[in-house]
Amino acid sequence: MTKTVDPSPGAARASGPSIADTLARDAIAPPAPILQSQYEFLGDDDIPVERYTSHAYMQREMNELWPRVWQWVCREEHIPDVGDTYVYDIGRHSVVVVRSAQDTVQAFHNVCTHRGTRLFEREGCGYSGGFTCPFHGWSWHLDGSIDTIPGRWDFPHATEQTHALRPVRCDTWGGFVFVNLDNAAAPLERQLDVLPQHFAHFPLERRRIKLHVQKRLPANWKAAQEAFMEAYHNFATHDAPNGGNTQYDIFGKFVSRFIHNIGSYSPQSLEDYPGDKWRRPALTEQEQLQMLSVFGLSSDCVPEGDTARNVAAAELRRRLGEALGTDLSGVSECMMLDSIEYHLFPNMFLFPGVNVPMVYRFRPDGDRVDHCLFDLLLLEMLPEGTPHPVPPEPVFLDVDDSYTQVQALGWLAPVYDQDTDNLMLQQKGLSSAAKSGVTLGNYQEARIRRMHMTLNEYITPPESQP
Amino acid sequence: MSENPFEHNLLTHKLCKIADHDELPQGKTQVAAVNGREVLLCHTAEGYFAVDNLCSHAAARLCDGKLKGHRVLCPMHGGSFDVRDGVALSRPATAPIRTYQLLVNEQGIFVSLPDEAT
Repeated sequence: MTKTVDPSPGAARASGPSIADTLARDAIAPPAPILQSQYEFLGDDDIPVERYTSHAYMQREMNELWPRVWQWVCREEHIPDVGDTYVYDIGRHSVVVVRSAQDTVQAFHNVCTHRGTRLFEREGCGYSGGFTCPFHGWSWHLDGSIDTIPGRWDFPHATEQTHALRPVRCDTWGGFVFVNLDNAAAPLERQLDVLPQHFAHFPLERRRIKLHVQKRLPANWKAAQEAFMEAYHNFATHDAPNGGNTQYDIFGKFVSRFIHNIGSYSPQSLEDYPGDKWRRPALTEQEQLQMLSVFGLSSDCVPEGDTARNVAAAELRRRLGEALGTDLSGVSECMMLDSIEYHLFPNMFLFPGVNVPMVYRFRPDGDRVDHCLFDLLLLEMLPEGTPHPVPPEPVFLDVDDSYTQVQALGWLAPVYDQDTDNLMLQQKGLSSAAKSGVTLGNYQEARIRRMHMTLNEYITPPESQP
Repeated sequence: MSENPFEHNLLTHKLCKIADHDELPQGKTQVAAVNGREVLLCHTAEGYFAVDNLCSHAAARLCDGKLKGHRVLCPMHGGSFDVRDGVALSRPATAPIRTYQLLVNEQGIFVSLPDEAT
C-alpha cells in the first residue's frame, strides 16, 4: 500500500515503516538525540560536474576551503607525551601538531621560516625534543620559539617575532585534535554545532583506535565521501534490502546524519525497485537473523513473536560486553546494531555505534583532482579506568589493493570494495562530460546538497573573482 | 656441525646477555653496554630487535627518544630508523644504523656482536 504523497518538494518518503517506527518498537529506547529528526527541502538543481573534475575548482578549494576550515588531524592518544608529533598533509599544505607541554597541544606550519623547507617530510607520528630544519639546521623549541640559528651573526634580522614557527590554530574535541590554518576563523565549537550535545551519551574520548586503514581511492574527495552519505545505493551496490527507508537529518550548515537499521527493513520501501527480491516474499525474521551471521552470531533462531533485531542485539550485548569489559545490558538495539552516521563538514564521518564504530576522513591526494585519500578508523570502547593503548600504525592500501587484505575489517571489507568499484566508474563517467550536472534526490541525497551549499560559502564563484 | 650462527659465538664467548626474557614491555626500549658500545634493545609487536644506540645524524642517544611501532625516533632532531633493518626513514637522518642479531630463549635475550665490534 502506498503512502499518501505530499506534493511539496522533499516531503515524499518511502512507503512502509520508517526508522522512527522501528526504533519505537525496540525493547530499549535509544538516547534522545537519536530520536530527533530534522530535514528541510534545500532545492533540486544539479551539482556542476566541474566540482569533481576541474583542476581550477580544486585549486579554489586549496586556496579557499582547506586553509579556512577546521579539520581533524589525529587522536590525542597519538601524542600522549611531551615531544610527540603528528604531521598532517592536506593538498599542498602541511601541519605539525605537537604536545609541547603535558597539558598543551600546539600546531605549526610544517615549514622552515628561513627558506621554506618542510621540517618533516612524511605524514604521521613522530617524536622529537624540538624541530630542526634538515637544510641548514635551524631549530625551534617545541613551543615554536627559536632554539638555534647556526651562524647567527649573519641573521641579525631574524628575531623571535619574525622567525618563530608559524602557528596554526589547534583545538580538541572527543579525543580528536583539529586544526584550522585560518587564524581568524570562528572557533571549533561553531563548526561542531550539535555534535557535542549529540555525542554526550557516546564519549569519543573514551574510545581507542582498534584499526586504522588508509586507502587511495580513484575519485575526487567529494565524490568519494558522497558515496558514504546515502544508503540509497545499498540495493544496487551491496545487494542489501535496508537502504530504502533510511532516515536523513540535517542539523545546520556543518552537521548531517543518516540512520539505517540493521536487522530490519521495510519491504514496502522497495516497492518500485526492479524485481521481487526482498519484497515478494518479504524476508522472515529468521532470514533476517541469518543475514546478520556476518557478525559471528551463535544465535540462529528467532523465537515466535520476537525479532531478529532483538535476538542479535541481545547476543552482541553479552558478547561485546564481555570482550570490551563493559556493561552493555542497557544499550538500545539502535546503538548496538544500526549504522548511525554523522558528517561534519567538510570531510569527517563519525558513527556512534557499538558494532558499527567507524570514523572516516576523505581529502585530496596531493594535487590530484581525480584521486583522494580515505582514512578509516575503527574506534573501540575503552573500559572505565583503562588508559589508552599505543594506537596502531595505519595500514596503507593503494587504489588496486582490496580491503580484504586487512583481515581485521571482516565483513566490512567486501562492502568497501564494492564502493570502490563504483567510485572508479563514477569518476570516469563524470570526466566524460556527457552531462553537465549531478542530480540528487530531494530527501535521500539531501546531505550531499547541504555539503555543497556549505562549500559554496567558502568558494568564491568564478564570476566574482578578480 | 650445527648451522646455528650463534653456536660459534657461544663457543667463543661472543654472545652477551642484555636482558631477561620478560624484562622489557612491548613498545619500550632498553640500552645495554656491550664491549664498549651501546646497543639499544627494542621490543616491538613483531618481536625484539637491536640497533646501535647512536643516531647516524648527530650521534644523539636513541634511548632518549621513542619507539613507535617498528620505528625508533631520535630525541634531538626527530630522525627515525626502522629497527628491523636499521634503514633511515626520515630526515635529517639519511645513513642507516647498525643492527645486531639476537638470540631470544628462556635464559634471556642475547646479542651477537660482529668481530670488529669486539
